[in-house]
Amino acid sequence: MKHDFEPKIVAFVCTWCTYAGADLAGTSRMQYPSNVRVVKFPCTGRIDPVFILKAFQKGADGVLVSGCHPGDCHYMAGNFHARRRFAAFRKLLEFVGVDLSRLQFSWVSAAEGGKWVEVVTELTERVRAMGPMLEFKELEIEECWSGKIDTPELKEAYNNI
Amino acid sequence: MTNTAQQLDTTPLVDTGYYAAVTEAIRAEAARLLTDGTVAAVIGYQAGKRKGTAMPAIITDPARANDLIFSPACVNNLALYLTKAKKDIRKTGKVAIVAKGCDMRALAGLMGESQLKREDVHIIAVACAGVKGSGAATGEPLTTANIAKKCRECTVREPKGADSVAGSLPSLPELSPVEAEELARLEAMTPRERWSFWKEHFSRCVRCLACRSICPFCYCEQCMCDRNRPQAVETSPRPAGNMAWHIVRAMHLSGRCAGCAECERACPMDIPLNLLNRKMAKELKELYGHEAGLEPKEKGPLAEYREDDDQSFIK
Ligand code: SF4
Ligand code: SF4
Ligand code: SF4
Repeated sequence: MKHDFEPKIVAFVCTWCTYAGADLAGTSRMQYPSNVRVVKFPCTGRIDPVFILKAFQKGADGVLVSGCHPGDCHYMAGNFHARRRFAAFRKLLEFVGVDLSRLQFSWVSAAEGGKWVEVVTELTERVRAMGPMLEFKELEIEECWSGKIDTPELKEAYNNI
Repeated sequence: MTNTAQQLDTTPLVDTGYYAAVTEAIRAEAARLLTDGTVAAVIGYQAGKRKGTAMPAIITDPARANDLIFSPACVNNLALYLTKAKKDIRKTGKVAIVAKGCDMRALAGLMGESQLKREDVHIIAVACAGVKGSGAATGEPLTTANIAKKCRECTVREPKGADSVAGSLPSLPELSPVEAEELARLEAMTPRERWSFWKEHFSRCVRCLACRSICPFCYCEQCMCDRNRPQAVETSPRPAGNMAWHIVRAMHLSGRCAGCAECERACPMDIPLNLLNRKMAKELKELYGHEAGLEPKEKGPLAEYREDDDQSFIK
């Protein structure tokens, strides 16, 4: 199917569970949207909230953070710490005015290729329906032009990006 | 934004005799501690150069004890002087510190983070009627109109667990919680409205980092926000970097912030930073029952976990 808008989804995953799960989906030849860019980390505990900000600033329309199920962390408790940190970070982002539908957290084990496909497909379709994430991108652009995008020429250039 | 307190009346909130009594008690205690050698230094307040102002003072000589004062202009959270950022003071030996309730919460937080040992400080607590907020003229007394926003909903006026307490609290009128009201107003907005609210505020930030310098919990030797290889947060005061800086600041202080509102007071651009602090404090209380208190806790809410923590947001 052809779409007007292909969202960019950045997925921060841990190497032990979700990366292996995504790999399994690939080797099992399961189909899922190619919108997702996977970035691998040792553990969800290593995924700093600032990475999520950076992803949005650099043009992501949706972000996924995924790791091992509770109790399965390769480093025992990394995902437990991450769970609290992201619970708090979500609240902060929401308070600043970010629509949390663009941010998904999940537990996907090395055996759950099917769940990976499901999570990625669901997030991609949800973000597609929402349209592009403009807030953070606009901040980036504002600093290039250090002014309001209000002249016709700038508007045209902006719309052509 | 500056002064949301209603302009009600200008009659002093408390009798000036109360401040005289607190000042007396602080002076006597400081002189005693320095004379008998219990402490090497006392961190307190002294009169500022302009009449009606106050500034931090560190005295080591009992003869100077009479320089110490307490007034509604004693806004600073002196706990800052006991952090890693001010290493030289701690080297002198045991120190005494004058602390209001909110400052004591910061001391408790620093102890919980192993930055400070209880036996290394002598706390002279102040039974606190409140301090003046931003915009109050120097010299004018504390009134219901000029009291700092944080003091309108203070729960730690009568500090507990100190080594001595200066003053006894007069009865105070009930004050409307303007900060909680502002928080509720923001929470009722749509995400888009909140985004434009914060974008407008953050766009004024000049990245002077006064908010960071004054915070007792911003004691890291190297702040992540100063690093540039790789650069996590853009350092110049431009929109994307400002937004990231404020989100990171609020995040790094959540579960640790004592709510002293010093960051907001120090901000030259009147950015309502304490709204972010309060919001995070509120959320962490709801999620994990954590509250910044007067008792040191071994671990903050984001430094520990429970296996059955809520994960309804995780698929
Ligand atoms: S918040 Fe409470 S303890 Fe702190 S200055 Fe205000 S009244 Fe005093
Ligand atoms: S973040 Fe602000 S209110 Fe919280 S402890 Fe630091 S200076 Fe005080
Ligand atoms: S004190 Fe205010 S202007 Fe300065 S960096 Fe902090 S928020 Fe920005």
